Amino acid sequence: MADDLQIEEKKAVQATGESTRDIPVFVPAVDIYESENALTILADMPGVPIEKIDIDLDSDQLTIRGTVDQEEVKGKVIFKEFTYGDYYRQFSLSSDIDRAKIQASTKDGVLKLVLPKAEAAKPRKITVQST
Amino acid sequence: MAIFRYPNWRWPDVPGALEDFERARRQMDRLLSAFTGGSESVASSGVFPPLIVSEDEDKIYVEAEISGIKAEDLDISIVGRTLTISGERKPEEAQNVNYHRRERKWGSFRKALTLPEDVDTEAVRAECKNGVLRLVLPKPEQVKPRKITINGQ
Repeated sequence: MADDLQIEEKKAVQATGESTRDIPVFVPAVDIYESENALTILADMPGVPIEKIDIDLDSDQLTIRGTVDQEEVKGKVIFKEFTYGDYYRQFSLSSDIDRAKIQASTKDGVLKLVLPKAEAAKPRKITVQST
Repeated sequence: MAIFRYPNWRWPDVPGALEDFERARRQMDRLLSAFTGGSESVASSGVFPPLIVSEDEDKIYVEAEISGIKAEDLDISIVGRTLTISGERKPEEAQNVNYHRRERKWGSFRKALTLPEDVDTEAVRAECKNGVLRLVLPKPEQVKPRKITINGQ
């Protein structure tokens, strides 16, 4: 049986540049896993539609930006446990990525980014020959 | 920093002590947010999912952040004034991979909320979009405020 889920408080980004939007910016929680052929990143970005996700790969620096698509909360707020905000996170990639084959998709507010490795970065099996 | 251990320490057996502490903590939070300029305090219950509850004259709105949960893994029920949201967040199955980071949590959850007023349970609408659940709970006719016109002579 899985543990009961607790609320993970959203972490605000320590701003390096100032945002032009008066809205908090959060660091999305991510899972990153690597297989032989690709690196996959899953990022929780509730409230962000796919067309408002911006992915930028500049040499080995990967930047994910998500703009929340949220109209004001309707009516008078009685109780509030979270705040809507944008998402921003940067990663340094170690292996070479085949840029042409990067795939991004979203499902239920989770971004899935598949970064296929370039041929040169794939593991090569080395046969040891005994003499 | 020194760490003190009290091996025989127990929570004092005073009825309502925990509640009093909780109340004091909330008051401190509110006081601090007033100084730091925060207009709305975020007082979390700690139970997943985080909610925003709001109301206007004829509806109550409940919004929840539930990214990564499929609509079919979510169960919403209303009995009287108690709204219950339960479900499970399942991990994504990936085989033959090495994890570099695992920050996203999974597990089952159950959260009950007492609504401030009666709602018309038949007319409740629920929508799930981009990992945000939105519930619209209309208030029944008799609890809506009614404007009474005063006839002048």
